[in-house]
Amino acid sequence: MKRLAVCVYVLVTLALLAWGYYQAIYVAPNDAMQGEIFRIIYYHVPSASVAFLFFAVSLVGSIGFLASRGEHHERAHKFDAWALAGAEVGVVFCTVVLTTGPIWGRRAWGIWWTWDARLTTTLVLWLIYMSYLLLRRFAAGPQMQTLAAVLGIFGALDVPIVYMSNRWWRTQHPAPVFGGAQGSGMDPSMVGALLWNMLAWFLWGVLILALRYRVERQHQKIAAAEAQAALNA
Amino acid sequence: MDQAAILDHQFRVAAYIVTWAIQLGYLAWLGMKWRAQKRAERVAGLDSPGKSSAH
Repeated sequence: MKRLAVCVYVLVTLALLAWGYYQAIYVAPNDAMQGEIFRIIYYHVPSASVAFLFFAVSLVGSIGFLASRGEHHERAHKFDAWALAGAEVGVVFCTVVLTTGPIWGRRAWGIWWTWDARLTTTLVLWLIYMSYLLLRRFAAGPQMQTLAAVLGIFGALDVPIVYMSNRWWRTQHPAPVFGGAQGSGMDPSMVGALLWNMLAWFLWGVLILALRYRVERQHQKIAAAEAQAALNA
Repeated sequence: MDQAAILDHQFRVAAYIVTWAIQLGYLAWLGMKWRAQKRAERVAGLDSPGKSSAH
């Protein structure tokens, strides 16, 4: 039954990704100013939204780990696995943002990169979570998870700064499309394509987040079994 | 199609390909990690039904 549910979920996700692509390429019109290059928005913005969401998952996991590590070891391990999964999948989506953005910028602005507030804070966010992943990969000892959780919480503090950066400072990056100043927004003929892609990439993200969580839980169980075997030897 | 439109098209295609390459690359890495874990699980004797579930 569970296997069937997963298969249905995967099929729905793939169908929505195909539908989102169709909407982005064949339904939404070209932007009047930017032409076809504007269609990068249908992958760029959903990736940023999903990255923010998964960094929030990592934040909740990190707080949960710190709160429960003293008494509820099993629960703490689950929180820790969510924290790691959220950070890692968030980094994947953030990498998409940081690569599609410059490709778009090269055509729209004539430059690959500029030290604009939105770009810089996003790069800092990516670097913080990369250092989180490196810490988890290479550090050892009982304090590693605690240190990672603290770093995960600090990293998440950058998310609202990234989100607000092009509201607080007007620089190279365009003003927010949604929730921006008066007059912001999208042509109704483009909104559908963006929302379909948001939904599709969200479902895809949840799929790989769940897979990453499961792999980490497996890893924890193997590590625990090996430690027990070493004690028994 | 003028030169600018051709360049726009190429850059748009590049952005979409990069997106899929990153996502599928990560999924492939995760799949390999999953398989390696399964092997390690068998070695550790955790692969019996009811014990292999991570939830």
